Amino acid sequence: MSKDVKFVIKRRANPQSAPYIEEFLIPYFPKMNVVAALMEIQKNPVNTKGERTTPVAWDCNCLEEVCGACTMVINGQARQACSALVDQLTQPIYLAPLTKFPLVQDLVVDRKVMFDNLRKVKAWIEIDGTHDMGPGPRVSPKVQEQAYALSKCMTCGCCMEACPNVNSKSKFIGPAPIAQVDLMNSHPTGALQRERRLEALMNEGGIADCGNAQNCIKACPKEIPLTRSIARLNRATTFFGIKGWLNK
Amino acid sequence: MTVTHTFFWRKLHSLSGILPLGIFLMVHLFINSMATLGIEDFNRGVALLHSIPYLWFLELVVIFIPIIYHALYGVWLVYLTKNNTLNYRYFRNWLFYLQRVTAIITLLFVIWHVAVLRFSEGFINSNLDFEFVRTALNEPVILILYLFGMLASFGHFANGLWSFLVSWGVTVGEQAQRTAAYACFAVFIILTAVGINALLAFI
Amino acid sequence: MSGKVIVIGGGLAGLMSVIKLAERGQKVDLVSLVPCKRSHSVCAQGGINAAVNTKGEGDSTWEHFDDTIYGGDFLANQTPVKNMIEAAPSIINLMDRMGVQFNRTPEGFLDVRRLGGAKYSRTVFAGATTGQQLIYALDEQVRRYEDEGLVTRYEEWELLSIVRDEEGCCRGAVVQDMKSLEIQVFPADAVILATGGPGMIYVRSTNSTINTGFAAATAYMQGATYANGEFVQIHPSAIPGRDKLRLMSESIRGDGGRVWVYKDGKPWYFLEEWYPAYGNMVPRDIATRAIFKVCVDMKLGVDGENKVYLDITHLDPHEIDRKLAGVVDIYEKFIGDDPRKVPMETFPAVHYSMGGLWVDFNQMTNIPGLFAAGECEYQYHGANRLGGNSLVAAIYAGTVVGPKAFEYSNGLKQHYTDLPLALFERAKEREVAKQKALFAMQGQENPYKLHQELGEWMVNNVTVVRNNNQLLTTDQKIQELMERYKNIGVGNGAAWGNQILPFTRRLWGMLSLARVITLGAYHRNESRGAHYKPDYPERDDENWLKTTKAEWTANGPNFSYEPVDTSFIKPRKRRYDVAKEVTV
Repeated sequence: MSKDVKFVIKRRANPQSAPYIEEFLIPYFPKMNVVAALMEIQKNPVNTKGERTTPVAWDCNCLEEVCGACTMVINGQARQACSALVDQLTQPIYLAPLTKFPLVQDLVVDRKVMFDNLRKVKAWIEIDGTHDMGPGPRVSPKVQEQAYALSKCMTCGCCMEACPNVNSKSKFIGPAPIAQVDLMNSHPTGALQRERRLEALMNEGGIADCGNAQNCIKACPKEIPLTRSIARLNRATTFFGIKGWLNK
Repeated sequence: MTVTHTFFWRKLHSLSGILPLGIFLMVHLFINSMATLGIEDFNRGVALLHSIPYLWFLELVVIFIPIIYHALYGVWLVYLTKNNTLNYRYFRNWLFYLQRVTAIITLLFVIWHVAVLRFSEGFINSNLDFEFVRTALNEPVILILYLFGMLASFGHFANGLWSFLVSWGVTVGEQAQRTAAYACFAVFIILTAVGINALLAFI
Repeated sequence: MSGKVIVIGGGLAGLMSVIKLAERGQKVDLVSLVPCKRSHSVCAQGGINAAVNTKGEGDSTWEHFDDTIYGGDFLANQTPVKNMIEAAPSIINLMDRMGVQFNRTPEGFLDVRRLGGAKYSRTVFAGATTGQQLIYALDEQVRRYEDEGLVTRYEEWELLSIVRDEEGCCRGAVVQDMKSLEIQVFPADAVILATGGPGMIYVRSTNSTINTGFAAATAYMQGATYANGEFVQIHPSAIPGRDKLRLMSESIRGDGGRVWVYKDGKPWYFLEEWYPAYGNMVPRDIATRAIFKVCVDMKLGVDGENKVYLDITHLDPHEIDRKLAGVVDIYEKFIGDDPRKVPMETFPAVHYSMGGLWVDFNQMTNIPGLFAAGECEYQYHGANRLGGNSLVAAIYAGTVVGPKAFEYSNGLKQHYTDLPLALFERAKEREVAKQKALFAMQGQENPYKLHQELGEWMVNNVTVVRNNNQLLTTDQKIQELMERYKNIGVGNGAAWGNQILPFTRRLWGMLSLARVITLGAYHRNESRGAHYKPDYPERDDENWLKTTKAEWTANGPNFSYEPVDTSFIKPRKRRYDVAKEVTV
């Protein structure tokens, strides 16, 4: 069976230039995903009008949904292009870059802000040094399973894209770094720096900017319980805030 | 302290919707419901309210300042949002959007309601009584606007209550949040029933 | 401490070396082609080996050492391997302290699983995404040093070439911002390459698209020696895709998965039958060759293809979720079947390069001041790598190379600040000129199509079974591709965000390394580990217990050989049908 799959791609040469739409027809093959289709465009960059064009630029890397690089807006929703199978998508397939990050080119955006946010909230375990100090703290399998669910965050940006409160007007850091605070604070060693992270979360653009639309938990490809983390930290920051004020 | 004021103001915004505004909404509705008992009882209730000592002070601190704060900060929050219900058609996202829509409706409704009933009739003409309200509500347009405004404010309050429970870290787990959602829906239904009943008493 | 060290590569080895340097107060520039959290290390699934002996099985570092040397068919230098194995348990402890979410036993200790080529459970794991969890922890530690101002990250920057001074020492790196394609030179006292493997030479492999090996190739073309290039691991289990062959972790077998095909209408567990001592837990080269034999020679592959069943339907679904969720999810997402209910269908796929830049025991290449760590160097796996050893090798090499580069740069008589600026300017100008020449390429060939052709030839001729005449034809083909390369058209896109230009540059690196791999295999007339020639089916220690060393010349690689350090274990015959003899 040979049929073509139509891709409608929102393109832009650079952040200053105007966006435009370009369409491509790619011959279908079984188990085709969006990345494989974009690779076909690289090999034969000709649009539906038969014009030669520059190949579409996009980010990709692991192609098995663990690195988060190939996140883009596919048929209106943010997701990874590698795990977006053509058979499961309505056609034509609309591709657009993430809208919550500065555009680089075509489907490539700069998600540096997500890494900066991790720095802002101090998402690391403060160890004394890398010298041999014996094993870390003992942890029950149950606690590990909960923490592991949070530690799978690949900073892909789906939750940021889906969140109505993350946008150019607001300073909200978004759901991802909040869940990382939850992860670090739930670790026995990480808990020693718990208050510094709570303070960071209570800063401008912090947890209070969450409006409980709860799109994040639905948009997360790794099924991270983001809303639970947010609520848990709502409680922690509330107590921490009241206690801090009463002890002042 | 490195914690900026955003956190405080945001939390205060969430709180002010419940306390005092939510409480006031219920008291208000309760007084209105006296209309179901009869003309005399309603007028007595209104008179009783107006005879409270330091009324202007109470109104200012418990009602006007919180309302103005909640409204102004709320409008700012509405502005900060970029709604995306068309791409992310989830129930919660719709409620999030409706919370903002009802915010604006409620705000307009309250301004109109207060301007007419509290200021021009209450202060200036001092002829606020059952008869006045009945005349007004028998105007179909006004009745419909009232119904609309009430539904918006009850919805805004009930969903705001749910959101408050999450934002203050009361309901954390999915199950708890779901149960709270049912409870808040019940609050909405009860408020609506009581409100419509009170409204109909004037007709 | 006015010096500076540049680390190229933000995977496990690179990040660990950054931490070791920053811990010493050393300022570091970290250059990474992708944000560190997206490095290929995230793809490592099964776990990280260390003889922690927490199951009371009597494991020891000596056993782990012997398994590694034996599994590598005695090609690895034994001293660095022994040091690594002995450090492994403390590396696990360190990662544990950094907050890596390793699976736990009911008592709260680190859980361990078994991987191939071992008789003991010594693989610590975090579900089936261990590499991802490890790299996140290291990335977080580096972020902490970044916060303290010791580390400057250049993410989405690529190494173009190294700077060599008059004496040939490495004095910095010429790098490029991948957004603007702006070229800059970073002077330094030492450069550490931790840039991963060259799997993209094969195109279809379990590797990430960034694994072109370009950094190693550019160092090779500037005089760094490349060792054991012909040893490329073919993983027995992956699932096919036109864009990628997705790995199905060895831990699936480790946790009880069984490999079979139909024979006479009944399931035939050929690994269990042929290798009773190890069963499904034979090392990767052995399993892959067995699958090849069953599918190609005996024609028993599933659907007549090079495909076998990997079966976990008999395992407890809860245990599968707890230990294997990551891989099972990949299978479900990309194939659509539930492995808990239906046996998986898997293929062998190019996975890992045992070979890489030649380094001494201090992780320094033959170019003074240029260090290498991780998959881009050759040191720890010999002729075949055991599952779970790559993560420990990458992190361990980082712990060695950081301090060694620190020592080196502080021991220098002349720092980069004492050198004439012209040296660095010249290095930069060279790359600027090369880039200009690339932009001017307006021929008929499409670089992505040439790449695909290269991959097809390499997969067909330089993988599981190798024949000398095929290897020679492949080398001729590569040379033909190098000729056609000159006729590439890069289009007329602007510099900003241009992806074709960097790709075209990397393609030349891949072609150059492809020759090293192919000719290295051609010359090595024996069978050892992953390198198998039916014409020379036995290991030949007399002639080939040697490390292959390739040097770049304009006419292709020049090969020489050096003896292997066997100071601890005497080479013996490697077999997995019977239990390994005790060597202590």
